[in-house]
Amino acid sequence: MSQPAWSEQFDTDRLPRVASSLPGVISREWAFDGATGAGIRVAVVDSGIDASHPAVGHIEGAVMLEYDPDAPSGVRVTDGSHDDAYGHGTACAAIIRANAPDCDLFSVRVLGSRLTGKGPVFAAGIRWAVTHGMHVVNMSLSTGKQDYFGLFHEMADMAYFRNVMLVCAVNNVPGPTYPSQYAAVFSVAAHRGKDPLHFEYNPNPPVEFGAPGIAIEVPWLNQGTITASGNSFAAPHIAGVVARILSKHPGLTAFEMKTVLAALADNRSAASS
Amino acid sequence: MSPERDPLTLFAQLAADLGPALIPVGHRELLHNITETARRLFTARACSLALLTESEDELEFIMASGEGADAVRELRIPASQGIAGWVVMSGQAIAVDDVGADPRFAASVAETTGYVPRSILAMPLQTDRRVLGVIEVLDRSERSPAGLGDMELLALFAGQAALVIEGSTMFGELGRVLVESLALAATDADVVMQLQRLSASAPQPRKDLGEIAALFQELGRVGPRERRLAVRVLRDVLDYARDREPE
Repeated sequence: MSQPAWSEQFDTDRLPRVASSLPGVISREWAFDGATGAGIRVAVVDSGIDASHPAVGHIEGAVMLEYDPDAPSGVRVTDGSHDDAYGHGTACAAIIRANAPDCDLFSVRVLGSRLTGKGPVFAAGIRWAVTHGMHVVNMSLSTGKQDYFGLFHEMADMAYFRNVMLVCAVNNVPGPTYPSQYAAVFSVAAHRGKDPLHFEYNPNPPVEFGAPGIAIEVPWLNQGTITASGNSFAAPHIAGVVARILSKHPGLTAFEMKTVLAALADNRSAASS
Repeated sequence: MSPERDPLTLFAQLAADLGPALIPVGHRELLHNITETARRLFTARACSLALLTESEDELEFIMASGEGADAVRELRIPASQGIAGWVVMSGQAIAVDDVGADPRFAASVAETTGYVPRSILAMPLQTDRRVLGVIEVLDRSERSPAGLGDMELLALFAGQAALVIEGSTMFGELGRVLVESLALAATDADVVMQLQRLSASAPQPRKDLGEIAALFQELGRVGPRERRLAVRVLRDVLDYARDREPE
């Protein structure tokens, strides 16, 4: 008897046995204790990372993507170290490092000297991260440009199907922005808390998670720090938490990770600490 | 048919020249009201609007209120650095409460403001089509708590400013917009191709003609005696210019 396409994989002789990843009760001890982010590769898709900043320590790799109409698909990719154009990527890297001290940080620099070609460059940055073995991708960037809806949707789906966790800052500007708008990503906004491991779950999407990002001291250029606010500082807190949990539970899928975060959120009455 | 006589090219040039003349009176005043109202609402020392230049690698301040306003207007800064640069590139709002002890950072800010602020609130100006620039509020009052409430408030101003700027830009690009619309409406493949080619190399509006048209609009708002005087002066200018015309 013929069966619909895609159903062969559910034939009993082909279906893999899947071990249960989640315990009956999800606690912070189960999720975090002893976890440091070791072995987890985290890409910071931003303005570059100043690896010499003491709050960052070191990074494992760096790649720069720039608009180049003569390059294939309009994007030139340059491997190797680069500086941080603005300071923001360094801030994000340090926030991730604080929550997942032993994770492997990779700088994927997509913000450069001009805005031209930003959409394709940004999308190429996500593609690079997804196809180069990253486990977590932090993106404190967004675009409201309708033309890019499909492009970023494709990237978000590709990441999800490959179990790469995209953590995106939500924009403060009214109206949808991409990729934070998609269900496949971890979308994050700032709350008023200061504890880097304090995060909240919002059951009314599109913003699903809250993390510190208001008046917090963050590393910046020239080994310095600034006190700053923005959703863009909230996202790396969640990226760090995700990396930390993954290092202890590497088999978790993106949807399981969301379940874990929701269960551990500080606003969950049943959350144990 | 020579390109000069091509009716579509003529049409596009006419629309491009006419565009700036049609920009509604009061856009500049509206932008000034936006920065001034934002500055007062936040009890801030300054508020400014900067737009991406055509090459998209610089930000040009087009409006400013408060401290250092005169120094900032028409100033250009590279979009590849600074808080304003990051905001316009990332599309994300950011508030910096204390620029800290980073001397390079302070110096670059001072260059754009005429003084060194302690705090900056910056938000992208954008529509669903593109990013236009950035609005910055410098040194909000201590009473006004830093946070996302401020950002939500500034987002309203940013939305207003973006609409006004987008409107002005559309008039400035009237030629291109009209040709693009024609290309969308045309069914003949050759015509569509010709229109698309024309749109890609759409003529830039002649700024001086736009300026003259804007002056006429202003004349419309003054009294009849002043208008008669202006007509006399303009006739004299034309007579003088005709005499000077080369053979």
